[in-house]
Amino acid sequence: MIGKLKATVLRNRGFTGALVLFAVLFITYQSIHPRGFSTAVLVQNSNEVVALAFVAIAQTIPVLIGGLDLSVGAVMTLTNTIASHVVTGTPMQMLLGAVLTLGAGTMFGLMNGLIVVYGRIQPIIATLATGAIAIGLALILRPSPGGDIDGDLNWAATNAVFDFAETYGFADNGNAAWIQPFVNIPVPLIILLVVALGVWLPFKRTVTCRTIYAIGSAEGAAHLSGLPIARAKIAAFTLAGFFAACGGLYLAIQTSSGNADLTQAGTYTLNSIASVVLGGTSLMGGTGGPIGSMIGAFILRIISFFFRILSIDPLLQPLIEGLVLLVAVSLGALRTFRVKNKLGLFR
Amino acid sequence: MYKTLATLTAGAALMAGAAFAGPNIVSGPGVNPECFAPWTDETNFMQWEAREGPFRVAVVNGFVGNTWRIQMIKTAKAFAEDPSIAGKISDFKVVSTGTDAPAQLGAIEDFINQGYDAIITIAVSPDGFDRVIRLADRNDVVLVPFDNVLDTDKVMQVNEDQLAMGRMFSEFVLGELDAKGVSSGKILEVRGLPGNSVDRDRSIGINEVFAADDGDWEMVSVNGMWDDGTTQKVVADAIAVHGEFAAVVAQGGSNGMVQAIQDSGHPWVPVSGESENGYRKALSEHSDAGLKGISIGQSPGLVAIAMKAAVSALEGNVMPQLISVPLPVATYDELEDGKNFWSDLPDNFFTVNEFPPCDVNISGPAIMAEDESDS
Repeated sequence: MIGKLKATVLRNRGFTGALVLFAVLFITYQSIHPRGFSTAVLVQNSNEVVALAFVAIAQTIPVLIGGLDLSVGAVMTLTNTIASHVVTGTPMQMLLGAVLTLGAGTMFGLMNGLIVVYGRIQPIIATLATGAIAIGLALILRPSPGGDIDGDLNWAATNAVFDFAETYGFADNGNAAWIQPFVNIPVPLIILLVVALGVWLPFKRTVTCRTIYAIGSAEGAAHLSGLPIARAKIAAFTLAGFFAACGGLYLAIQTSSGNADLTQAGTYTLNSIASVVLGGTSLMGGTGGPIGSMIGAFILRIISFFFRILSIDPLLQPLIEGLVLLVAVSLGALRTFRVKNKLGLFR
Repeated sequence: MYKTLATLTAGAALMAGAAFAGPNIVSGPGVNPECFAPWTDETNFMQWEAREGPFRVAVVNGFVGNTWRIQMIKTAKAFAEDPSIAGKISDFKVVSTGTDAPAQLGAIEDFINQGYDAIITIAVSPDGFDRVIRLADRNDVVLVPFDNVLDTDKVMQVNEDQLAMGRMFSEFVLGELDAKGVSSGKILEVRGLPGNSVDRDRSIGINEVFAADDGDWEMVSVNGMWDDGTTQKVVADAIAVHGEFAAVVAQGGSNGMVQAIQDSGHPWVPVSGESENGYRKALSEHSDAGLKGISIGQSPGLVAIAMKAAVSALEGNVMPQLISVPLPVATYDELEDGKNFWSDLPDNFFTVNEFPPCDVNISGPAIMAEDESDS
């Protein structure tokens, strides 16, 4: 049992490292926060991280095949503007709108995959172009910020389970006995974990997913082994589109509006790459996984949480954030000192 | 009638749920109207329950990285230590979240959770703050957006009237053209960030005055993004394409605008612009040669007024929901070195920082001397 655990930890060194770093940062943060370990703080933290975590998960899958998807932030922005138009009306209409939003993002990802595979264009260039298209569409849909997403949905989805039950009046307005163990869990955290694990864990068992990892390790070998390369690449970008759309949909519900914010799209794409690296996924592809990137996104956010409790000069904050990030990423590179075979450095 | 209705609604809201605290809508007039002027006659007034100071105040900035924002942050820090308010603030924090809505909303929520009394913010988006407004009201926190304000009347906000600013730009330039005896020609309008409400309002003001004038004006619009470099390029391009303009009406990037006119050998014409130190230097230097200009600024000192308004609200004073800060106007003939511009200070610096009716007396040089290392 312990042997098995040890083997798992060693096999996922990057992920374990990220998890430990996250735990240290998170516990320190909560300990010095005046209202640390309370539901309110946990709800706030979860709300802030969900969109970035989804975009980081989206980025991971193309990175696993050794590519980069520069359109994830733009797809998030595009789906955010779509959601601000369609997620309105009766609960049934809102649900339909959500499905439409996720579908649009998925189709956009599929288009990326088709361009990369059949257009034979480098992912980084193809997605740079399609990202610009996504922003263009978003600007057409929302030339100025706006939209009117249901206030109850906004309140319910950005709070703890208790407020969710209270808003929609089930489980005795959140006071029923059976719901008590869960009332303090933030809804955004549940959404994130259910979607991420619910999609990724089943997918991980498929040949397509194994092929994604194989392409990242050695595309030639994967091809010669008869693995479905084209299918795996298309699937990688399609899933990226889906997860980016999850981020966009949540962002729309969280802000009850849509905003075709060009700068924000760029910020999210860059932060998604940082989260992927922090989460222990190699930019060369082949190792790591989306759950690690989710932790990476948590780490990225927590660093800035500290500025709100500690007294640090506002104009020095970006510098300090950059330094901490550099140290965190460098920790992942420590293993290179222990590499016995220099060829291993090229992994 | 309007106000009675508002009071009734507020009363109903109070009865509906005690959980929703927040401000009451009351009838005016508000406290210190020279400083906290209501936006229009229709503006509502708000009142929070008075409480004991000193207060904990936080500033949640979005984007950081241009001179205006840096000067704003420095002004906020300097004002927090100003004797007129220092005793009323026990804890003061400034964070910048970047252009990232969830991060800005998160920072505001975090300060609410930490028990801060007031939170001042420049919103990254005019929409999407419903949740934090609701939380602020529940926790009796005064949330004050300024500069980039929200499209809502549920919070107290501080800004300058951008539409009036646009009109004043045009009215001044038309006056100068009239004095020169020019009644037709091309006018170059230099706009700011597309899609931004400030750019939209200023442009509407600029264009409606020219449209209403009986002169024969052809408007040419370019986007300078309020940035000196971009403005210099687009103005130079416009001069190259169109030859000569009767006047240039810029709403930002004024240093670049003047530089482009000078470099292209275009004759000096009446201009309008923001309150950059370099622009005012140029106006005072070249006004005899024909560079007759008006300078109106969106002042970084707005942050100080927002802080003052927040503290005033916490003390239980009646406050307008939308506070209109007077436009700091200076024309070329009113400029005086060492008073409203400084020939020994850098160009890229916003001269307008003081608001005497509000006791905000932090001048340009004082801000430039502020030590960045202490917090």
